[in-house]
Amino acid sequence: MNGWILAATVGLGGGGAAALWGVTTGSPGRRVIAQNLTTSAVCPALLLLSQGYGRPAYVDLALLMALLGPVGTLVFARLLADDLADERPSAWGLTWAAAGLAAAVVIALCVAGGPGRAMVKLLVIGALLIGGNVIASRALAGGFREVRGG
Amino acid sequence: MTRRTAPRAVLLALAELLAWWAALALLWLVLITSVDTLERIVGASCAAVGALLARAGRRAVTWR
Repeated sequence: MNGWILAATVGLGGGGAAALWGVTTGSPGRRVIAQNLTTSAVCPALLLLSQGYGRPAYVDLALLMALLGPVGTLVFARLLADDLADERPSAWGLTWAAAGLAAAVVIALCVAGGPGRAMVKLLVIGALLIGGNVIASRALAGGFREVRGG
Repeated sequence: MTRRTAPRAVLLALAELLAWWAALALLWLVLITSVDTLERIVGASCAAVGALLARAGRRAVTWR
């Protein structure tokens, strides 16, 4: 057990449990938001675990998650568009808090790893994670209504 | 009657493909674990296919 694994455990235990609670209870709007935030909670934890165990290959898991998580939320936003039209679910405080967590983790790992290709990869993952989640949150809140018709 | 494509349009298309290819090849080099000759060849090939797809996708979105 080291500091990285401890931080990952706290992130997974706190953020993951909160996301699971949100997904399983409440209105559809609340559930879909919690589903979106699951990526933001779990992906930084995967990055921390990769650093904690000294296995750079585990970073690929976080990369895939950062890429596919927001895409999955966009599919939900499209499929549930009629159900969410009245509710327009949004949780901007949580969204930006999750973005801050992702940024903090990526910066910490960049500092620990030093400059190099691995650092650029981490920055790409961070940009995908934060950008994807902000865009997905905006889509859930009805921010892209003009493209609803495809 | 066949209409010849203007040289300027061909050059623009080539420049766009080259830009996509460079960006995708760079992304490949960043994301792989070990950089060797095989990875470079595979990466350049995948980036070439990706550049064609990216331009097709970009045109599909912008052509209204």
